[in-house]
Amino acid sequence: MSPSSVATRARSKVRTGDTPEPSRSKAGPARRRRTDGRRWAPLGFLAPFGTLFAVTFVAPICYALYESLYKLHRSGLGLAPPSEVFTGLSNYTDALGDHAFTASIVRVVLIGLVQVPLMLGLALVLALLLDARRTPFKRFFRLGFFLPYAIPGVIGGLMWSFLYQPDVSPIADALGRIGLHVDFTSDGMLPWSVGNMLTWGWTGYNMIVIHSALKAIPGEFTEAAELDGCTGWRLAWHIKIPMVRPALVMTTVFSIIGMAQLYNEPVIMKAVAPNLAGDWTPIMAAQNEVAANNYHAAATRSVILALVIFVLSFGFMRFVNKRGGAQ
Amino acid sequence: MKSRPFRAATLAMALTSLTAFAAACGSDGSAEQASGPVTVEFWGWAPGYEKSVELFNAAHPGIKVTYSKISPGSKGGYTKMLNAVKAGNAPCLGSVGFETLPTFAAAGALQDATEAAAPYAKEYAPWAFAQSGVSGRTFGLPVDIAPMALIYRKDLFTKYGIAAAPRTWDEYAADAAIIHAADPNAYIGYFGNDAYNFAGLAWQAGAKWFGTSGDKWTVNLNDPATKKVTAFWQDLIDRKLVKTVPSFDTALYKGMGEGTILSDVNAVWDTPILADSVKQTSGNWAVAPMPVWDAAAPATGNAGGSPNAVLKGCKHVKEAVEFAHWFGTDQASVSNLIKETGIYPAALSGLENPALHQPDPFYGGQTIFDVFKESAGRVDTGFRWGPVMTKTSGVLGDGLGKAGAGGLGLDAALAETQAQTVAEMKTQGMEIG
Amino acid sequence: MRTTDRAGRAGVIAVLLIAALYSLLPVWWLVVSATKSSSDLFSSNGFWFAGRIELVHNVSTLLGVQDGIFGRWLLNSVLYAVGGAVVATLLSSMAGYVLAKYTFRGREAVFNTVLGAILIPAPLFALPLYLMFSATHVVNTFWAVFVPSVVSPFGVYLARIYAAAAVPDELLEAGRLDGAGEFRIFRSLALRVLQPSLVTIFLFQFVTIWTNYLLPSLMLANDRLQPVTVGLVAWKEQRGQTVPYNLIITGSLLSVVPIVVMFLLLQRYWKAGLTSGSVK
Repeated sequence: MSPSSVATRARSKVRTGDTPEPSRSKAGPARRRRTDGRRWAPLGFLAPFGTLFAVTFVAPICYALYESLYKLHRSGLGLAPPSEVFTGLSNYTDALGDHAFTASIVRVVLIGLVQVPLMLGLALVLALLLDARRTPFKRFFRLGFFLPYAIPGVIGGLMWSFLYQPDVSPIADALGRIGLHVDFTSDGMLPWSVGNMLTWGWTGYNMIVIHSALKAIPGEFTEAAELDGCTGWRLAWHIKIPMVRPALVMTTVFSIIGMAQLYNEPVIMKAVAPNLAGDWTPIMAAQNEVAANNYHAAATRSVILALVIFVLSFGFMRFVNKRGGAQ
Repeated sequence: MKSRPFRAATLAMALTSLTAFAAACGSDGSAEQASGPVTVEFWGWAPGYEKSVELFNAAHPGIKVTYSKISPGSKGGYTKMLNAVKAGNAPCLGSVGFETLPTFAAAGALQDATEAAAPYAKEYAPWAFAQSGVSGRTFGLPVDIAPMALIYRKDLFTKYGIAAAPRTWDEYAADAAIIHAADPNAYIGYFGNDAYNFAGLAWQAGAKWFGTSGDKWTVNLNDPATKKVTAFWQDLIDRKLVKTVPSFDTALYKGMGEGTILSDVNAVWDTPILADSVKQTSGNWAVAPMPVWDAAAPATGNAGGSPNAVLKGCKHVKEAVEFAHWFGTDQASVSNLIKETGIYPAALSGLENPALHQPDPFYGGQTIFDVFKESAGRVDTGFRWGPVMTKTSGVLGDGLGKAGAGGLGLDAALAETQAQTVAEMKTQGMEIG
Repeated sequence: MRTTDRAGRAGVIAVLLIAALYSLLPVWWLVVSATKSSSDLFSSNGFWFAGRIELVHNVSTLLGVQDGIFGRWLLNSVLYAVGGAVVATLLSSMAGYVLAKYTFRGREAVFNTVLGAILIPAPLFALPLYLMFSATHVVNTFWAVFVPSVVSPFGVYLARIYAAAAVPDELLEAGRLDGAGEFRIFRSLALRVLQPSLVTIFLFQFVTIWTNYLLPSLMLANDRLQPVTVGLVAWKEQRGQTVPYNLIITGSLLSVVPIVVMFLLLQRYWKAGLTSGSVK
């Protein structure tokens, strides 16, 4: 039995009554064998996933929590092997006082505030256009938009690095010929350049999710609206977009989580943009601590980041659910 | 989703954590049982290392070295080693640069090999052997040292009317102006973001970044000697007489191939990298001594050089050291490393190696190691590295990159490096005097 | 009326074309660049072919580097991604099915834990996982990458939604009346109904594993076990010493081909599967 089901079972004792039990009283002796199978089936079906989930998800988180409460202790030159001491929450106050780390969180939040709405807006527009009845070449466009999603983040990073690097960039070259001199790796451009890599990589994916939701709107709805003279953008605005709200919520939450994981693209891009600091994003900052052999600080940063993501994405869902309920 | 079940989920996770954690901590690594030849695992990244390992294995039936090529140290290789040490499954030997060795020692990632290494001490350049250890304890044996020189496009220097390579930094700056005036697209050289290349420049100028007095560290990353270096390069950057490009990246080699970046002040191991990267310009390059500050008292810098260090948890220290010694001293191995890796041997016997006296067609038939030999003799052997160099070099590299991109200047980068290095050392509980 | 209609249509096509250009131009660059020699890569127009098409030469050189290690990396990626995604799909569908179709104590708590896990990015805890795997000597083996790849909370979430929507209770009851065991019902009745949506879960997980970088780069030291993403980045970091830059680009192109093929093959199901998921 997986530890997670032990815990959940313990928890659910407190709230028996919430969960309807399979009605045992009505089961006659002849049906006992079958109901037994039915009682134990959930455990059997959940066990493989649950066990591996506990090993690869839950345990590492606990281990990180544990590590975040300790520090290495040295003295003098610090060349003798250090000892590990319990320091409570002191790693957390250190991390929150680390200007570079908090700045990296703020940086990613700011990039996300611009990039996520832009990307999802674009994805929504493209999905609506593909859903419109008279749009030609739908198959081609759908595949075309979707293709970047199939390209691994690090490979996308390699490609865009080349396209950004001022001395070899064919884009900068083309823009230069019409008198526009852009350096995609300059300090001011970095957030936009990285944001663009994300938008390029993920718009198609989000578009497909939204498009599938649009496809699932029953024909009667749109037909009725069209009979009332509600067509084109008005149809999209009043009927279609409200109907795909859950898909928009889902893509937003996933985008928030994706933003928080920002690592591959900037790390690869650093090779061509040396002004991109080694602790540009929170995960880069955490990895930096690992490189400095400070696992406790790294674990602390991971935990803080997980909490931030949790609060942001969960907060967003509560927010939209509340608004959704009020409507 | 409502908040109550959510709280339930959190609690459930917290409970699970405890159970799972207890389970995770229960296991213990068991030692592998060796029968037959002793196996020594070895991690490195430099080209050519695998060939020397093969040579060793062919000649030593009693020891089997298994080599893994990992990412270069500063690109994640060192982190990988530290992770492996922490995880208790590190290889016996790792290629750990002189600059990183004290950091590994401070991390408790090295295994004392003083006893096993002592008999070989006299066979190496004394400072290289000394930097393969920390405060009297030896952790490995050196393979190479990395004296610096000026690698330049002889044909283009001549084209722009510069008959001889600059001997001093003043001449370098003057030549930079001449070249850029003759062709606004051409630059004498570049300012990159490689922290250890910069360290070599500071080393040459007489910087003493780290030292110890008694039980305390001294940290002086922005000492006057280093400031002399930053002032010099800041001036060239401001006057746009050098190109600012990332070190070892496509833009640099594109410029070198096209003839818009004409030289590189770099260590000996860069010579094959350069040759591979701009093959089309073969024969047009030459190597000259590194420009110096004072022609009357020429001193040069060192940028790199790696001992093979014994990592914590190694069960066969004796065999590991035996291999490390063979690797850096055997004639066939050293010949291979000179040709493939571009090393300059740390072993005294290596200096007699015939491979050092072969003309190199890429460098116009020059026997380039003659220049590096002279440079090696002028390296200040009193330079010391600090205990948190991954941090120091990371911050410094970021600062150099930002300064090159026109952000805060080099002095600000130095100040930041000093501040963050001291802060990191304090965090780790080291005392600073 | 007519003219504004036509203008609107032209506008729609213009927007679609610009978006397609944006999506495909970098891909086009990759295709074109993969055909170039090292010197042409830096000297010719990035968006058009150079004089000579060296694609075949590049590919054959690439496949010959280090005793053909690139082919090995591609094979590894296929093994991790196909194998991992198949197992993940199976585990997820079992868990999701049970969460949708059975009532038992703690069901909501289990499901909420799964939901919570979706909100926590796995890369954050890759390092602790590495340290734990080290203690059991799993690191630097095939399993170090494979085992974490088969766990997909998002897959469970999707499977639960699909099963709730697509598997009618009557079907299960009919199966039980026929005397079939619970697993048999799942295998021969539920799975069949769920099939199209399972393709979606499979594809999601396939892409996640194929594009993963952080986890395998942590777990593996032996370069013969690496997936292609890790191998290519390592080559790039070796400063062009192992392979020249143009071959890294050729390799990038090759690394994308299998995943595109997979999508072309399975697109039809993918659409069907997503539809039932996202609207609920």
